[in-house]
Amino acid sequence: MAITRRELISSIAKAGVPAAVAMTAGTGTLQAESIPVPSAAVGLLYDASICIGCKACVAACAEANDTPPDTRGDSLHQAPSDLNDLTRNVIKLYKPEDGSAYSFVKRQCMHCLDPACAAGCPFQALHKDPETGVVSWTAEECIGCRYCTITCPFHIPRFQWQGYNPRVTKCELCSQRLEKGLRPGCTSVCPTGAVIFGPRTVLLSEAKQRIKNNPGRYYQDRVYGEIDNGGTQALYLSRIPFEKLGLPELGPESVPARTLRWQRRFYQYFALPAVLYGGLVQVIRKSLRGHEQEAHEREKQTGLRAQL
Amino acid sequence: MSSVSTTNPPVTSNISKPRWERAVPVYGFPVVNGFFVVLFAMTLLAFVLTAYRELAGLGPVSGMNDAYGWGIWKTFNVMVLTALGSGAFAIGIAAWVFRRKRLHALMRMALLTSFLAYACGLLLLGIDAGRPWNFYWIVFPWKWNMHSPLAEVAICMSIYAMIPLAIENIPPVLERLWYFDSRLRPGVERMERGLHKFFPWIIAAAYLLPGMHQSSLGALMLLAGERVHPLWQTPWLPLLYLGAATFMSFGCVAGTTMLCCLVWKRAMDMEVLDEAARITAWLIFGWLGLRLLDIVFRGALGTAFHADRFAGVFWLETLLISIGGYLLLRSLRDHETRWMFLGYVLSSLGGMIYRFSPTTLAFRPNPESLYFPSTIEILVSLGFISMGVAGFLLIVKRFAILPASLDEWHDMASYFRFRRPYIRWTGYFKYGHFGENESVTSDSD
Repeated sequence: MAITRRELISSIAKAGVPAAVAMTAGTGTLQAESIPVPSAAVGLLYDASICIGCKACVAACAEANDTPPDTRGDSLHQAPSDLNDLTRNVIKLYKPEDGSAYSFVKRQCMHCLDPACAAGCPFQALHKDPETGVVSWTAEECIGCRYCTITCPFHIPRFQWQGYNPRVTKCELCSQRLEKGLRPGCTSVCPTGAVIFGPRTVLLSEAKQRIKNNPGRYYQDRVYGEIDNGGTQALYLSRIPFEKLGLPELGPESVPARTLRWQRRFYQYFALPAVLYGGLVQVIRKSLRGHEQEAHEREKQTGLRAQL
Repeated sequence: MSSVSTTNPPVTSNISKPRWERAVPVYGFPVVNGFFVVLFAMTLLAFVLTAYRELAGLGPVSGMNDAYGWGIWKTFNVMVLTALGSGAFAIGIAAWVFRRKRLHALMRMALLTSFLAYACGLLLLGIDAGRPWNFYWIVFPWKWNMHSPLAEVAICMSIYAMIPLAIENIPPVLERLWYFDSRLRPGVERMERGLHKFFPWIIAAAYLLPGMHQSSLGALMLLAGERVHPLWQTPWLPLLYLGAATFMSFGCVAGTTMLCCLVWKRAMDMEVLDEAARITAWLIFGWLGLRLLDIVFRGALGTAFHADRFAGVFWLETLLISIGGYLLLRSLRDHETRWMFLGYVLSSLGGMIYRFSPTTLAFRPNPESLYFPSTIEILVSLGFISMGVAGFLLIVKRFAILPASLDEWHDMASYFRFRRPYIRWTGYFKYGHFGENESVTSDSD
């Protein structure tokens, strides 16, 4: 028995493990892991400290996306409690019981530089535009597996639970309006300028300028989304901790880069699986020969046809 | 006289040690009985409810919601039951790669249970998908997202179940044809020779692919990050999922075979069962060791002592698996089949809870939310399990799957010759006594 293991190992080694390992595990950064900022990355800058919670952006979002207003709460007002299959953009209120500082927060897709939803999407229904960096969904490629609702660290994509032809709903930065030279719906109506639209670099310097002009006003003097989760194209400023607003502390590495490191290396160029396959064929060939021989011997002994 | 009886060795003398030498169909039991009718009705009900689901959408038929996007159709029927159905992978590797030759006796059981588990799981996966008509992208490799664990699972699982696993299940069918009519024999033999030529490549694929997708099932939850409780969320999740699948499937195949022997009154080959139990016990303790080491080194051990549901689930699965492993070891010492069977049941149950936890029991959506499967969801899930069980009952009574001694084969022949001469369904008896008409020289190639 001991010989078989040696056989297994040696035949796998013969098939070129060193080369495969060097090709996969040894690679510094895989192409899938380097996160380039798209050349014409656009995004949103939301400043929670100047948002008055008027929800004009919620109505404007539904209008810009041709979505019927979500009045399922009280059959009268468009007041969704969270993102859902009719709501791409929502204003929520964080108000602690003890009466300390409260804040509104606008939730919509963060348009991550390395989006986890697209990393998990099996047939690339969710994909990131290489130029504008907008993460959008296409109905023709989506199988409705709802993996995006599991993977998104911000819990953004929502599945339509009713009907035979369900869709995935998420903010696509009004890309059809962008093509016409218009701004996204939410930014075009905001009365206080709490949410503004622009190239990511411009928004980032604007946010940093605000932090510089108002020292101590913003939480940790930090722009959420500059490096969080590998960087996002929706940027946030807030007086109160981001975590209270539902923006988790994810660290500077994106979720896919952090969690799929070994998975990606294993399947890179399909090299390791191919090597493993070659080794398996070698070993099984030998065992099959022995097994067949034994079966035929037994056939002669018992007079019954061999069962392989 | 009395001295003879006292010096007699215990009952385990070497005269009546049954050996599993040949797969023999289960004969003398009707396929359609009360149990089978119930299974069939459950399956039909599931099909009707499935039609309703396709029209109404997932919301009205299931308890799934925005926080728990995956329900038991995926998390139980696919992620848990295909682990039980990994016998073709685990037992196959032990038998073909590590050459545990005795395990070949269990191979046909392993292949059949695997095929049924995968087929039922994949069908339900298609029903669980919201837009299943877009599955056709699976034939366009350039559309695959090669780095997505879910793409890996969906593609690899379908290919595995439809090609290598299905082909591995062909020999019992060809054998049935060989016995069915002597005119078919030359054709069948030609097909068998062709099959054997490609067997090494097919069998190797049948080990590579499940190794890939059973581990990718674990990788699925890596992307969920912090939402999976730290007792379960680990970079080793793929390996732990694969390891759980190996001992669970040993439990499923050996346990099912023991149960079948009990129900259909067949002798058990303790050499084969001991070998399987020994391997399973080692797999279990190796797996437990890896899991505990991982928890300790990640510093998550403290959370196992919090008084919450996560700690409860963790201890439940750990206890079930380790008691199962202990019982298996004990059965090797005492040769008590009851402990062996119980050991398989408990360890597989623990493994099932482990495979179920990251997606459901230990999943912490933010904001906090609850999921409990709706009645329709449970009925459909049970219906697809019933379909697999009904298929199993039908196939073991029509094909040579279950292992038995040579005597069983001869008994089957005389049973059909003398007691059921009017039954024509099994060609196994058509040409008289087995062995008489089986010319060994017929496949002299």
